[in-house]
Amino acid sequence: MSTAISDSFVVQGKLALPYQYFAGRTGSRFIISLRDEKKIRGLKCDKCGKIFVPPRASCETCIVDISENWVDVKNTGVVTGFTIIRYKEPHQLMEPPYILGLIKLDGADTPLAHIVKGVALSKMETGLKVKAVFAKKTTGSIMDIDHFQVLDDKPKFEMGYSYDELEIGMSASFTKTISETDVYLFAGISGDFNPMHMNEEFAKMTPFGTRIAHGALPQSLIAPVLGMKLPGLGTVIPEITVRFKRPTYFGDTITAMGEVVEKLEKKRWVRMELRWTNQKDELVAEGSCLAIPPMPFNK
Amino acid sequence: MKKNRNVGIIGVGQSVYSSHREEVNQPEMIHEAVVEALKHAGMTIDDVDCIVHGNMELFEMIHQPDLWHTIGIGSYGKETLRITTGGTTGATLCCAADYLVSSGLHDVVLAIGFEKLQEGHTTGGITNMADPLWARQLQTGALTGMTAAQVIEEFGEERAKKAAMKYRIIMDKHAMKNPKAHRRLGLEFDQADDLMVNSPALVGELRMIHMCSQSDGACAVIFASEEKAKQFRKQPAWIKDHITVHREESFCAFGDAPVVYSHRYAAEKLFERNGIKNPRKEIDMFEMYDPSSWWGLDWLRQFLLFEGDEHLKMVENDEITIDGAFPVNPSGGVTASNPIGATAMVRVAEAALQIMGEAGEHQVKKTVNQALASGFGGTLWTVLFLLTRKVPR
Repeated sequence: MSTAISDSFVVQGKLALPYQYFAGRTGSRFIISLRDEKKIRGLKCDKCGKIFVPPRASCETCIVDISENWVDVKNTGVVTGFTIIRYKEPHQLMEPPYILGLIKLDGADTPLAHIVKGVALSKMETGLKVKAVFAKKTTGSIMDIDHFQVLDDKPKFEMGYSYDELEIGMSASFTKTISETDVYLFAGISGDFNPMHMNEEFAKMTPFGTRIAHGALPQSLIAPVLGMKLPGLGTVIPEITVRFKRPTYFGDTITAMGEVVEKLEKKRWVRMELRWTNQKDELVAEGSCLAIPPMPFNK
Repeated sequence: MKKNRNVGIIGVGQSVYSSHREEVNQPEMIHEAVVEALKHAGMTIDDVDCIVHGNMELFEMIHQPDLWHTIGIGSYGKETLRITTGGTTGATLCCAADYLVSSGLHDVVLAIGFEKLQEGHTTGGITNMADPLWARQLQTGALTGMTAAQVIEEFGEERAKKAAMKYRIIMDKHAMKNPKAHRRLGLEFDQADDLMVNSPALVGELRMIHMCSQSDGACAVIFASEEKAKQFRKQPAWIKDHITVHREESFCAFGDAPVVYSHRYAAEKLFERNGIKNPRKEIDMFEMYDPSSWWGLDWLRQFLLFEGDEHLKMVENDEITIDGAFPVNPSGGVTASNPIGATAMVRVAEAALQIMGEAGEHQVKKTVNQALASGFGGTLWTVLFLLTRKVPR
């Protein structure tokens, strides 16, 4: 008993209010399927078609008994609402901060409240897809679902432009300086140890007067353009033609560029013009290719 | 009481009363009563305009149960009002439904009272009532042996104990005729002497057998305006009048003032304003909120405004039995079934069924033209209802 005002009592009290709760047959069956089968079930109103998860013995709008009309719903669902618990009090199951979400399971019409994990608090948003993670140890309660884990819905790879997204005039490029090391490594890859690429003394006798890079080395720089930029990941190149215009000397900086010039509607392919230029903007090579833009495939 | 228009009870529904209803949760249990009441009234939930809902505060440790119970009780999209006045809740809900209809605000009102006593802790809940500075640490709950001691002192131990036990056995015999009742013990009158000694003592001569049960259950009653009531039911039970009387919390706030029974006060006022000179003759049956047989016995005296030992004689002479001249609690009363938030409503509901002639196996034989129903709650609150067979003039 203490108070800021010295002549008035404040009674500090505490009342224990023990209780038990009868889950009922309907609620119990839901928990039993969680406990014994790791399955989430709902009750369906045949009159209005609504599927209740958590289950309700009667439909609140139709006032009909639906307690025997069990249906399976998926373990996955969408977050329809959430809050972030940042305060701490003794009744909580876990240390704050944590996310409490409303999850509408796939196949259900009403949301279930549960803990959401697997996403940064700042990135939490409604619409995230989640999946139930069942508890290792059963408690015969709603906590037989330990939590709902956020599924990484965004693809791990940014896929390239589809045929429909590609437009004539779109272009992309890649630039790299060709060093002696690149040339030597390329010789190893191709087996082309021709002294015109390897031996300066020999090269002095050639029309170029010095060592030059393999023609295929700057040509290969178009690969990151087509395969990773335009159209991008998922592209297949069935044909490529090149005409070499100038040699590439050691230390040259080559830009490989591709541009969409034609859409082949029938095949849903595109034709692209290709250009290779050096640091002086001189044309090193030119050509064209056919590209099969990425099609949806199993991520 | 001045009323804008008449109100009739046209539908009654009750769940089964039991010590444990593990197979249903709260809204599911209430759903049983609601569905039965709608069926009884011959209507659907669409015909209901408003729902009044109530139970004891804190007893199940559920905050705003009316909101949760929307699932299953029919209040979705309707006006809903939650009322809680302790033990009288059920009767107060009936008062509220009557006000809502008689005022003209609504034509059809569904009143719902419920309790799942096995889920909560009644003493914990009741203790909250007491003044935190003067009484809370001292308060014990709902049991008292005071009335037993008073009756024994006034009428002698043997006669008092016998009358209380006979009252209890009559109630059990009534409960045996009511399939919804919770405690149906099958007691016989020749067990009285044995029970008086062997039933576990709770407080003084208040024994386990005398005391009401702790029940789970729900009751739903449909109230309608005169016009609507006549559409749905040939014989509604009409609400003639009702009165609510409260006392102060601790019986001592007003110093040494004489203890006034709210029961007697309520009855005097109600009878006076309805021109009832001889309640024992003019009223055909009584559904009384009798939390124990001692109280049932003693309150008979208060409600019927007796001074001497007439109330004892009524028990001794079988006058309060279902076939007697003044049947009391043909349903078995509160010692048989006590889902508290519903209990006081069940009194009104059962009296209504008697007037309609639809109480089933526990229907009294004579025509019930006028019935009395009482509610009781903390620190002796009384709600007293007067129902009639004829439309009140």
